[in-house]
Amino acid sequence: MLKLMKYELRKTWSTKAILLAVTAIVEIAYLIGLYADKEGTMSVSVLLLILLAFGGVMVIGLESILTLHRDMNTRQSYMLFMTPNSCYKILGAKILECGVSILLTGAFFFALGVLDITLLFAKEGQLSRLWETVQQFLSHFSVNGRALDISVRTMSAVAFVLLTAWISLISTAYLADVISAALLNGKKHNGFVSFLLFILLSYVTNRAAGLITASIHDSYTLMMVYGLIDLAFAAVMYVVTAMIMERKLSV
Amino acid sequence: MLESREVTKVFGAKTAVDHVTMKLEKGHVYAMLGPNGSGKTTWMKMAAGLIKPTSGEVLYQGQPVSIASRNEVAYMSTEPYFYTWMTVRDVGKYYQDFFADFSMDRYQALLRRMDLTEELKTKALSSGMMAKLKIAVTMARDARVYMLDEPFNGIDLLARDEIRAAVLEYATSDKLLLLSSHLVEEMEAIADRAVFLLEGRLVENVDLETMRMERGISMADRYRQIYGHTEG
Repeated sequence: MLKLMKYELRKTWSTKAILLAVTAIVEIAYLIGLYADKEGTMSVSVLLLILLAFGGVMVIGLESILTLHRDMNTRQSYMLFMTPNSCYKILGAKILECGVSILLTGAFFFALGVLDITLLFAKEGQLSRLWETVQQFLSHFSVNGRALDISVRTMSAVAFVLLTAWISLISTAYLADVISAALLNGKKHNGFVSFLLFILLSYVTNRAAGLITASIHDSYTLMMVYGLIDLAFAAVMYVVTAMIMERKLSV
Repeated sequence: MLESREVTKVFGAKTAVDHVTMKLEKGHVYAMLGPNGSGKTTWMKMAAGLIKPTSGEVLYQGQPVSIASRNEVAYMSTEPYFYTWMTVRDVGKYYQDFFADFSMDRYQALLRRMDLTEELKTKALSSGMMAKLKIAVTMARDARVYMLDEPFNGIDLLARDEIRAAVLEYATSDKLLLLSSHLVEEMEAIADRAVFLLEGRLVENVDLETMRMERGISMADRYRQIYGHTEG
């Protein structure tokens, strides 16, 4: 499994390297803006860093879906499917590599954000006001009508629910793509059909999660339950997808 | 060693392989022959476990081909299939990571013999160099079955000699070699048995020496008899 994950990482390394390089450039611009008192540069850098953080996590997920698509629909598929690995292992390695990459990317940008905010307050000599300001900022956001508090517990729940939601969505896309490649291969409009299937599956899983969590009002519990439901959906998608690949996929 | 039982593969409206039943035994070098579209590649891919038959089954050592059989069956596709970011060295490392029977020493020896260097990027290889690389990495496995699809495609005579020598070096009594090619004369010098396919159906799985002795015809003669009217 680790060897498969190593090659999954290698396949997507170029995009990650580009993301890192661009982030480094924008971070340098932020630091120049901060210490040279150029507010314009700093503001643009902050905006770009936020975009890179969200965009990066999105791109990593999307590239993982594209990689699976290439691995099933091009000649490179032989490289993967002629090895003595089951489809459960192959798909598991893809999901794990993608999940770990998303987690690390999220953690990286979070740490970078904390560092940048700390540097800003340290420079202004108002480091002691940092926590209070962040609390004020977060009070503008709410879940189910309740304002967010800034405890480590809440932040962990937010990170957890975002991560699991994205992984669940990626697993759904995997299933739709595998159905397109394994069951509808050669049939008319198979790409469109699999896209519709993706929309339908996403809708059904969201609706089901909404129904299950309808009676929960505590924002922390709500996020944790949502995350667990997404993980359960992702696990079901994984098993069904690998089963279809194992039984029906021809490359 | 390899057995095909009523194997059929249908792609949409086209039947690529049509109820093929045959046995391939170890200790032989088989030439799989037939014009384009006769089902050679599709059958090989089913034996390699890359394509699922529509009906019937391919058995290896009495068991349906599976993940386990991929440990002992080495398949070389006619198309280039390496990841574009790979160098020749990366290709060897990849095989070493996944196939217990892969020998890096043997791979490096085959590369030297075929004038390939490990630093070369696979996406920059000419078709001849790519053909040599595919042979080198496939034959560097100590597999029980080798299936080489069109190993002589797009390469010059000298490289062909090199590939033929490399292939025959590993054709021992406990192994099975199956090669497909359009170059019938080339195959006659390598194979001792021939499998003729026509429009997805098996025409004949024949011992070449017996055919020469009993019918007085060569593999090329038989090829002309079977396909003469279809290839015009």
